[in-house]
Amino acid sequence: MIKKILSILALFLLAFGYFSCSEESNPEFDQDNFTKIYDSNSFTATYYPIDLEQTADGGFIILARTEIENTNFFGTYLLKADQDGNFENEMHFDASFVNPVAKFMKVGDTYTFFCMDEFRMAKLVSIDGNLENLTVSLVNGITYPYVAALDNTNFVLQSFNDVDKKTAMSIINPAGNVVKNKEFDLGAGFEIDPEIDIVQHFFKFGKKIPFQVGKTGSTYYFNGFYNYSIALVFTDLNADDPQGVVYGEGDNGGISTAVPIAGSKFALARTNFGKNYMLPNQTLNMSGISSSEGGNPFPELEINAPIQILRATSESKNVLVYASNTRSKQIGLYFYDETTGAFLSSRYLGFSNPFEIGNLTQTEDGGLAVCGTTYLAGRFPRICLFKISKEELAKQVK
Amino acid sequence: MKRLLLIMLCLALLGTASFAQTKKRKPPKNFNSKNKQDEKFLEKQFWMGLKAGTNFSKVHVTKEYSVISPVNNEETSKVYESFNKPGFQVELELTFYFKGFSASLQPTYRSSSFAYTNHYEWIDSETATNSLTLDYYQEQKLEYFEIPFVVKYDILSGNLRPYIQLGGYGAFLINANKTVEVSGLDLASGGENPFTNEPVIVGAKDLFAKSNWGLIGGAGVNYNIGNIRINLDIMYRYGMSNIASTQNRYSNDRLAGVGDAMDDMTMDNISISLGALFPLRFLSSGFKSSDSK
Repeated sequence: MIKKILSILALFLLAFGYFSCSEESNPEFDQDNFTKIYDSNSFTATYYPIDLEQTADGGFIILARTEIENTNFFGTYLLKADQDGNFENEMHFDASFVNPVAKFMKVGDTYTFFCMDEFRMAKLVSIDGNLENLTVSLVNGITYPYVAALDNTNFVLQSFNDVDKKTAMSIINPAGNVVKNKEFDLGAGFEIDPEIDIVQHFFKFGKKIPFQVGKTGSTYYFNGFYNYSIALVFTDLNADDPQGVVYGEGDNGGISTAVPIAGSKFALARTNFGKNYMLPNQTLNMSGISSSEGGNPFPELEINAPIQILRATSESKNVLVYASNTRSKQIGLYFYDETTGAFLSSRYLGFSNPFEIGNLTQTEDGGLAVCGTTYLAGRFPRICLFKISKEELAKQVK
Repeated sequence: MKRLLLIMLCLALLGTASFAQTKKRKPPKNFNSKNKQDEKFLEKQFWMGLKAGTNFSKVHVTKEYSVISPVNNEETSKVYESFNKPGFQVELELTFYFKGFSASLQPTYRSSSFAYTNHYEWIDSETATNSLTLDYYQEQKLEYFEIPFVVKYDILSGNLRPYIQLGGYGAFLINANKTVEVSGLDLASGGENPFTNEPVIVGAKDLFAKSNWGLIGGAGVNYNIGNIRINLDIMYRYGMSNIASTQNRYSNDRLAGVGDAMDDMTMDNISISLGALFPLRFLSSGFKSSDSK
């Protein structure tokens, strides 16, 4: 009898042990994975995120464009979210800060980006992780900034010289001074006036050109207008002529995204008359003339879809994450092995309302953060932020 | 507070049981040796049977979560409905009766539902007619395999035997679905445009905890008809653990896309079941238990 009672008690203890391990609130889970949409109840508010950075407290600052009155250009907006993705703070800029451009760059404890003033002059803007202590420097002599990137402690900026009608590549120091500048011809007599395209690019809803800028080794590169075409141009910023050029098809095609892997090996995306191709493992001729070709076609992507490429690490494996807009109005993530260029998996973010890619970054905890635009109720453009945990990323790239 | 209430409930039920015990144990006047034999036999019995019925649920939110994070206004909470979505359950009852007390294991298939709404509004401060309201009606249907264990106490003896019961349960999630219906009023399309979209139905098993547990209190009545015992049973399940999955809260891209994230919550449930129980011990070979006399 005692044995039976003990057996029953043991059974109950086991059952109790099992069920006491039920779901408990776990702050770590709340930070590992989340989806957030930052909504304003204003009918007229619009937000289009460009880039994001993770802050020291685990939160995020998102740089976005927003519509403002009395200008043809987008205004500038910053949003701070906490480590759970909840809205913390925001900053609206006035009409003297328009057309903010990627990248949003972390320099020490500050977060920096370029935009332009009402007279089209480039501005360097820095702010701390709490959206306080704003510092602004006017970059003299530089107009119409396209895109920027970090160059050690300086910045490399591609812009448009609207006086000489040239593409400009500049090294800017943190104080906003031009350290070096080199300009490149757009091509005289170009049958499609690139200036028109350039102005459209800056307008609120004009056709966007996939401008890129960066550095690989000691060579700088930019993707923009050069010699009658959208071209990926390599330069040492000393010689007048480029070291190498990868030409596109006028303004109808060319490289849309370029991320250097090592030496002349790049992860690329390109467009050709609207169609998108991904080339995760491409060796480029950086010291000669070539043209953009090849790659896996992605008919599921929108025509001329913006494509972001992130180099990420998951469990010691180097991977490439391509992010873009699908025809089904989702954000598509495509994972590739960085070493071989082999396709690993895909994932789609968003449903019901349309979603568009802004940018993505790898987080301190080894996961991914993806920001984009979603159209709430199918019409209100709002910032969305997806956090994907380290474990989920690992599953994607297994 | 939750635990205090439960302790009070237990004490109240035990008090009732002790009172009933003292009232019940007087032997009848026509007590004789046959009765004595039957009474002795009846001190112990095994019962087995099937029950089925309906149930209604209510959830207690322990921590709120939302996909929508407002930047210029207060976050609006979900509004939950209580005990208004009927579910159903089928139970196999295995009961051991001994001197007025019964220990009962009741493996159960239970389907339960609960619902909540989210309300969103966009207004134009300059043009009053530019406004849009959206209401998301979100219904969750959960299916569980439950193992309730209760101790019952028969308040009266005889053919009509009311009882009270206390116990606990463990529940394993079998399946979960979620239906989202969006309706709204659009005043910005040149007129008044009320609309209701087709509901979106998605599998939501990952959004809920694989198991949960809780406590049971309840009452019922058995009525003996011949060899069969008809049972009417009312159970209140008091959820003690979170029924939402904390890890997979945002894992369903379709639901996150429509702006939804499950809150952390426990679920209470009230069930009413009707069934028949059969004795497993008999006095004679003619399958007659002494209850049937």
